[in-house]
Amino acid sequence: MNKYGPKEILLGTAKTCLLLVILEIFTTAFLPAMGVINFRPEFNVLIVLFLAFKLETPVLAWLIMIVQYVHSLFSIEGWAIGAFTGVLISLSVRYLKDMLDFSTAISTIIVVQIFQVAWFLATSFLLSLKLGDFGNFFPLLWQDLPESVALSILSPFFFFVLDRVWKVNSRAAGVAI
Amino acid sequence: MANNLLVVILSLWGIAIQNYSLKDVSTFEAFLIEAFAPIQRGALSTREKVSSMLDHYVMIVNTSKDNADLRKRVDELNNKIFEFQEVKKENERLKQLLQFGKEIPREKVLAQIVSWDASNEFKVLRINKGSSDGLKKMSPVITMNGLVGYVYRLTPNYADILTILDQNNRVDSIVARTRSHGIVEGISEFKCRLKYVNRTERVEVGDEVITAGLGDIYPKGIKVGKITQIDKENYGITQSIVVTPSVNFHKLEEVVVLIEKTEDENRDLAKEQSNE
Repeated sequence: MNKYGPKEILLGTAKTCLLLVILEIFTTAFLPAMGVINFRPEFNVLIVLFLAFKLETPVLAWLIMIVQYVHSLFSIEGWAIGAFTGVLISLSVRYLKDMLDFSTAISTIIVVQIFQVAWFLATSFLLSLKLGDFGNFFPLLWQDLPESVALSILSPFFFFVLDRVWKVNSRAAGVAI
Repeated sequence: MANNLLVVILSLWGIAIQNYSLKDVSTFEAFLIEAFAPIQRGALSTREKVSSMLDHYVMIVNTSKDNADLRKRVDELNNKIFEFQEVKKENERLKQLLQFGKEIPREKVLAQIVSWDASNEFKVLRINKGSSDGLKKMSPVITMNGLVGYVYRLTPNYADILTILDQNNRVDSIVARTRSHGIVEGISEFKCRLKYVNRTERVEVGDEVITAGLGDIYPKGIKVGKITQIDKENYGITQSIVVTPSVNFHKLEEVVVLIEKTEDENRDLAKEQSNE
């Protein structure tokens, strides 16, 4: 894992937000224009997971919040639920760091899938709590799973790109694809 | 650790104040939405260009150079015909949309769909009309087939519509045949649920559900959908009813926003008409 100065943080954040904006436009406008309305992969989750897994910086929680704020421009979900979940996940990653393996594509896919399920469990719980209706807890959880599998399969390539954006030392925490 | 704690506290505050029925936007937020929405809108024209290119140019890559100009001309004309046909179809759709709902005493604003919400949990559409076109928050949105939703978030040139498929949108409705009252709520997979209908009400599969006109958002009598499933459980006082919306959300391209004028605006309008 790497430590970053203010300049690297600003540059990395700007590039990550730009990437997220492009992916959000792809998901919200391009896919529906092609007739794909029911399949909307949440790239913000993948980006937050990357930040939690790979970045060691005291401002990680603020970075997660910024990513979620950009996401909220494209979704009425808002930034708060994702930021809260993201910070909890980044804290859990800190304790599980030694157990997480990103040396192969398969291990990356498995780790990302596990944490995505944890993410959707947390957000579905918070959303159900907020709306006061736990009847929709499981439907909310299940509807994200197909997209999460697709995102997990994409994650080795995606992490490879973000490794370059954040200049993560490939020997220390890189992902093999 | 202090950063984490601060963001967690801020997030909890954010969750507490988040309103999934209506949203105010800050100037900064509106600016960013206004900046990104035209790119989302551009995705639609990109699709048309890509499909047109695939249809009309890829096929002629290997033809001889002599025929290239003629073929190009033919392709251009074909493209023009295609564009005219699309415009004709759009005109017909818009004409039907404008003719629809003449009896509803509200101003109608036509809008095009720009994008869908980025999260699966929310069924929200973005349209290319905003407060500068006279839209107001909570204005109902319809098509000639029925109810779409209402305006949830508004910027000067764009608006987010909370559709009836969203679980946060609750529509006061009645079953047209039996006049049984209930609340339509969105569930996943392009279906809605009609809640709080008494077990003793004799509703049937195929019955039409329309807006009740209560709740101060939707005018009375707009089609919501048709009952497609009824489950009467052995317990409870209500029945579980699934409603399939009249609007085909897969093929939604244009919508009509109904704007209710304030008393002052109505007075001005009446004055203008009397002057004419």
